[in-house]
Amino acid sequence: MAKRTPTTRAVSGAAAPQGGKASAIGWMQGLACGGLVAVLPPTALLLGALLGPALAALFLDRQPGKPVARSVLLFALAASVRPIRMLWVAGHTMATSIVLATDPDIVGTAWAAAAAGWLLAELTPLAVRIVLEAISRAQATRLLAARAALAEEWGLDKKAAPPG
Amino acid sequence: MAKPPTTVPSAASPPARLIDGQFSVDITRPIPGAGGGLPAFVAVDRGEGRTGLMAVQVRRYLPVRPLALQTLGGPAFARNGIEELLSPLAYGAAPAPGGEEAGFLICEAPPGPALSVSLRPWAETELLTLVLRPAARALDQLALRGLTHRGIRVDNVFRAGVGHPVVLGCAWATPPAALQPAIAEPPYVAMCHPAARGDGTIADDVYALGVLLLTLALGRVPLAGLSELEITRQKLDLGSLAALVGDHRLGSFLADLLRGMLAEDPDHRPPPALLLDPAAARSRRTAARPPSRAPRPIQIGDMVCWHPRTLAHAVATQPEPGLEVLRTGVVGQWLRRGLGDGPLAVHLEEQIRIRGAMPLPDAPIETEAMLLMRAVAILDPLAPMCWDGLNLWPDGLGTLIAACQDPAVPANVDLAGRVARMISAEGQTAWASHRGDRTDARSPRMDARQLHTLLYLPGPGGGLARLAYQLNPLLPCTSPGLDSRWVAQLAELLPALDAAARRERPVEPVGPAVAGFVAARGDRGLEAAVAQFGNTPGPVGPMAQLRLLARLQARYHPRPLPALGAWVADGADQLLSVFQSRPRRIKLRPKLLELASTGQLTALLTMLDDADTKRNDDRDVQRAARDLALIDSVLVRIGRDGPARAEQARRIGQEVAAGIGLTALATLLMVAALG
Repeated sequence: MAKRTPTTRAVSGAAAPQGGKASAIGWMQGLACGGLVAVLPPTALLLGALLGPALAALFLDRQPGKPVARSVLLFALAASVRPIRMLWVAGHTMATSIVLATDPDIVGTAWAAAAAGWLLAELTPLAVRIVLEAISRAQATRLLAARAALAEEWGLDKKAAPPG
Repeated sequence: MAKPPTTVPSAASPPARLIDGQFSVDITRPIPGAGGGLPAFVAVDRGEGRTGLMAVQVRRYLPVRPLALQTLGGPAFARNGIEELLSPLAYGAAPAPGGEEAGFLICEAPPGPALSVSLRPWAETELLTLVLRPAARALDQLALRGLTHRGIRVDNVFRAGVGHPVVLGCAWATPPAALQPAIAEPPYVAMCHPAARGDGTIADDVYALGVLLLTLALGRVPLAGLSELEITRQKLDLGSLAALVGDHRLGSFLADLLRGMLAEDPDHRPPPALLLDPAAARSRRTAARPPSRAPRPIQIGDMVCWHPRTLAHAVATQPEPGLEVLRTGVVGQWLRRGLGDGPLAVHLEEQIRIRGAMPLPDAPIETEAMLLMRAVAILDPLAPMCWDGLNLWPDGLGTLIAACQDPAVPANVDLAGRVARMISAEGQTAWASHRGDRTDARSPRMDARQLHTLLYLPGPGGGLARLAYQLNPLLPCTSPGLDSRWVAQLAELLPALDAAARRERPVEPVGPAVAGFVAARGDRGLEAAVAQFGNTPGPVGPMAQLRLLARLQARYHPRPLPALGAWVADGADQLLSVFQSRPRRIKLRPKLLELASTGQLTALLTMLDDADTKRNDDRDVQRAARDLALIDSVLVRIGRDGPARAEQARRIGQEVAAGIGLTALATLLMVAALG
């Protein structure tokens, strides 16, 4: 077995607290979910049905900060506000929760909102990039024109070719 | 030969170009046999009306002797007072019979025919009074002025008529002794290249005078019919007097006189002052030990050598077999056993061992040439410098280099290579070290180190062409474009270049030959302008050429040069490229063309070299370059930052999506809270 160097020890030492922090957050989230199921079982059931795609996104999104899952969750949560309110208005019973959780309109709306959140999280960066690239290209074109004029005026054409 | 006319031609004669502002050449009236081997014509003094003058046509690659012209001619002519000599007066260019321009040396014309015209045996009294004394008087006067004649021979000595003393002919229009046949020169001079015989000493003239006396005494030229090489070999083998007299009998007085005058060693010949009193000269007998002959000869190439003198000549003229016998030790054995000269053999073998065993790195030719040169100098201390088969006196090196410039002689390429190698190895210094106290008599005009330095100057400011002009102040410019002109001074150069440019628009008006000519004849400023031509082969930039031409115009020829101006106009774009600002170039172009059309190269250069304009241009171009660099750096950054922008877009997009989601959530929560 290869002997561990001080550097590798330092790297693994630094990774340990981050893993511990993530694990702690996971445990806290699990505890909150458990608490919710224990204290408010109808709400937990309805949320479980409506936020299913968001939970799946949280599981699948491996990016730091889970930006896609976050967007999906926010949209799904927004779509879940009305059904939760209906559950509580109807007395917060298990039967009502089951009825709502099996209503295709309600579940479809929530899942569609989640999908819209995912789509927005994927498309918005593309749109922003297109805008940024257009700005850069316009700047480069302007600079190249200025450069050509300068080079022609001073006979610097041969001495310095434009980059790229 | 008739005496040239003594009347000035009528005013109806066509106007001729004047030499030195005074002399014209009438090429319609040649004077046969008067020019000492060169064509001669009647010359007319339009200034002072002097008569009895001739113009000797100079060969382009055999320059006039400047020291003689300076000492005897010009202002010194009137007071030189040497009546027994045809003195030079002036030198310059004039139209020659072919229509082209040629150099002419204005000289006194002979008073009558050459002695060779009616050759007959002369009585001893005639020889002494009409030949020896006047010639000795002329030589004595020359010696007092530090000059030599080097042109005494039977067809270059004249007299007005029977009973008149002789007059020495013109010997100033060629390098010393360049046209002398082997018969008239000491063997150590005759064996040299005709252009490399050097000024020599007055003793060489005494020798030639001795040959003249002998010729006149015999009534015919001795050794006639033999080749130059054979004459030299016989003189070396038998001694000059014995070889020339042969079986003829001479009077005892003349024989005694000639024994001294024809001595092989110049130190043994009587000086001219002594010859003024022939009886005293006869009584001065310097015992010259004849060379001891070996019982058995040694064969070098095609030459059978009986003593060291002929051996040295064989080695000098046949370098390959000479080198072989030197290296194999055959010469040493022959000297020791055959000749019985052990010390000479030891000295020679020491030199061969020391020098031959230490070849110069990458220079085998120089090593062998140096070895041969040392061997010849040891074997015969009277011999000239021998370098790789080339024999010369170092004071004739300059004229030899001038002769090498003649492109019509194919062998000159090889000759120039040998000369260059000799200068490169500073062979003259090594040769002088073997001659002991004899060196002073024929010391090189310029130090070997100076020659070496000039040879290796970069560009056209150096090399053999530069040396040719440097060592020969009256050598005309040998540029191919100036074939029809005779340009010997810088003042004549620009009109000639302008005329050449008018005939054919040149790629570069100042070629390497012209640049070398200017570097040699000009001041430091012009030399610096030539140095700007650089050391790269191919055409030189027009700015460097214009700079040189403008400086020449400012110094020597302030008049317009329209043809050269047209050449400038052709290259206007290239010349204006000294300015980097295009607007500035466009602005200056009309002014440049205007100045070019008037042929004012100096004003043109002033405009292009204007310090303020150039400073502004430099400053502006530096600023432009900085701006350009800044733009380039921004462009590079834009190109390089693509991935960073993608990451930024992703982050912003996700934040925007999250923001929209959060806004939607907050809105719906608020709606739900409000009912």
